[in-house]
Amino acid sequence: MADDEKAGEGSSRRTMLKIGVGVIGGGLGLIPLAPAIGYVAFPLDHKVTSSGGGFLPCGKRKGFGAEPVKVDLFADQVDAWQRSKDVKIGSAWVIELDGNLTAFSTVCPHLGCAIDFDPSAKKFICPCHKSFFSLSGAVEEGPSPRALDALDVKEDGDLVTIRYARFRQGTDAKEEV
Amino acid sequence: MAGRLRAWLDDRLGLGVLSEWAVGGSVPGGARLRYVFGWVLLYLFIQQAFLGILLAFYYSPSVTSAWASTAYLNDQVVGGWFIRGLHYHGASAMIVVIVLHLLQVVFAGAYRKPREVNWWSGLALAGIVILFAFTGYPLPWDQGAYWSTQVRSGIIASAPGGEVVRDLMQGGSETGNLTLTRYYALHVFVLPLAFTLLAGLHLYLRRRHGPTPPVTLSDEEAAARAQPFWPNQLFLAVVAMALCGVILLVATIATHGSELYAPADPSSNFTARPEWYFLGLYQLLKLFPGPLAIVGKVVIPGALAAFLFALPWVDRAESRRPRARLGILAAIAAILSGAVALSAVAIVDDANNEALQEGLAEAAKEAEKARELAKEGVPPAGGVAVWENDPEFAVRALFREHCANCHLLDGKGGEEGPSFDDYGTREWVAAIIRNPADPRFYGGTKHNTMEPLPVDDLGDDDLRAVSEYVYSLMGESAKAVDSELAARGKAIYDDKLECSGCHELEGESTGPALKGRGSVDWLKRIIADSSAADLYTDTAEMPKFTGKLTPEEIEALAQLLDRQRQKAEGGAPAAGEGA
Repeated sequence: MADDEKAGEGSSRRTMLKIGVGVIGGGLGLIPLAPAIGYVAFPLDHKVTSSGGGFLPCGKRKGFGAEPVKVDLFADQVDAWQRSKDVKIGSAWVIELDGNLTAFSTVCPHLGCAIDFDPSAKKFICPCHKSFFSLSGAVEEGPSPRALDALDVKEDGDLVTIRYARFRQGTDAKEEV
Repeated sequence: MAGRLRAWLDDRLGLGVLSEWAVGGSVPGGARLRYVFGWVLLYLFIQQAFLGILLAFYYSPSVTSAWASTAYLNDQVVGGWFIRGLHYHGASAMIVVIVLHLLQVVFAGAYRKPREVNWWSGLALAGIVILFAFTGYPLPWDQGAYWSTQVRSGIIASAPGGEVVRDLMQGGSETGNLTLTRYYALHVFVLPLAFTLLAGLHLYLRRRHGPTPPVTLSDEEAAARAQPFWPNQLFLAVVAMALCGVILLVATIATHGSELYAPADPSSNFTARPEWYFLGLYQLLKLFPGPLAIVGKVVIPGALAAFLFALPWVDRAESRRPRARLGILAAIAAILSGAVALSAVAIVDDANNEALQEGLAEAAKEAEKARELAKEGVPPAGGVAVWENDPEFAVRALFREHCANCHLLDGKGGEEGPSFDDYGTREWVAAIIRNPADPRFYGGTKHNTMEPLPVDDLGDDDLRAVSEYVYSLMGESAKAVDSELAARGKAIYDDKLECSGCHELEGESTGPALKGRGSVDWLKRIIADSSAADLYTDTAEMPKFTGKLTPEEIEALAQLLDRQRQKAEGGAPAAGEGA
């Protein structure tokens, strides 16, 4: 072996060794690397957070009128490993328009800030990027690409219920996610 | 092109110097397989760090979320069990290779001048690996983690000045959230940083002093046979790493990763056993009971550490030749054999300990159930709150809400109505026939018309027969009925006592009709409406639950009482032995 080295014949053998180091070392790296991909990407194709869905009670019919009222919606929720009962999953502005109740998600369709209501101007406002919406939810001014997202409302006798949903942000079309 | 890029980068980054430092130099006497252990350890450490970072993507260190997040990453996240398992077995592999590395260094006499600091930094690195194991094992906060942490805290606290150390390590005298955040901070920040710095020193010193050539070669021979580290020695190192990696891969797949017991439950009686590499120390503890405990806990382990530390001075031999250092080699061999022997004794003891084996089997079943329940999500209280997902928990909650005001179950609840602790068993039937006025039956209610039967009226033997008969009326749920005894009981029941005067078998009856009494169907009818003509009629005081509870809830409550009876019947006494 030592003679090979001296004679310089070892150079091809050394090349083999170098290739061997690269191949075996690379293969060894795959052991933890390969499973890491699916592991880290897990939330991409699995629902990590979910709530029961369905229509959630938000108050009595007589509590709503021409002035918008903000209501909080509570439901059971699973967040990764945790299952919580009756937690606040979101809120909505409820307003009576032409005798019918309409509910708007408080999530701005632009970039998801919380929509506020300005009683003196009678407008919905997103304070983050200065979008203004009319009482019927239409964009009046500002960067929001679409009107406020309306939620399904149901009147169950005296009780008002809302189906809470989230929508893709920043797009012209309203698309539930 | 590649050559120019390399030259460009080398010019700016000095990669050549870096790689020359890392893998340059030569190995006097030639590359050898026995020099690979340090490199395998480096590989394992890097892999452990990588896997540890991945685990941190999902793990959450708090008493409420540690177990739940571990169960989530292990049982739900794709590949989670593999990553956790590889990390777990990787720790074991590090311990094994550290021992091999240490043996090679001792055999070669590589701890001697001028490599004393190599030796000490190596010992410190080994100590850090043990601390890694120590701080990593508790993180999932399962039963194994919780109970071994209790024991280890106890060991530390019992050493002189140990309470302060324990309180600092676990954040107070009790284990809790601070224990997990501290162990986590140590495990993922402090120890990796310390290990990296020390490993840097260790590698620098290896480069400074070079590998220790075989003692059989003269300096000239060693120099003549020298081979370059890169690629000759590194190739051997990578082959050894690959062997280690494949063993780990196989071990991880074969064991389907690492154990995860049920969530930590301070009120349970889990039997903690340390990981295999701590079994020797564990057995040592058992050898020194009472006032001598300190010997096993502190004196012997401390003396061993001191001996290893002082080895460069203890060794006064003229040369590195093994024959000149027989004493040292014998001492190390004795220590290693001692550790192996102690571990073997611990393993054999445990294997022969039936109670422990049963406990482990029980723990495995419990773990499986808890992890299945965790897939629905663990309630916010975390850990043991996972049992709330169990239907048994739900029905007990229902019982507390609707029944416990009047009925006693497992020692809790009101005493207006019958207590359910041994409800419906033979003993219960016998007792109510003997003295129906006992408050544990219907003491708080209007049922006060049935007469007691003192021993003079009904001897113990006849009581046993009558009870067997009444018990047998329950139908299929009645366990191991002695039909002869029951037949004799029926005769006494009908003719001598005339019980049937009030208690018909079926249909309208003054007292409750007894056919099917105590069975699940009968209990369901009682819960739904106990005032039916064949039940308690106008003396029924229990609210009607039909309409208030769903049929499924009523069924679940009846099943609960049925299980309760079966539990009380427990060891299943043979027919007739009950009374």
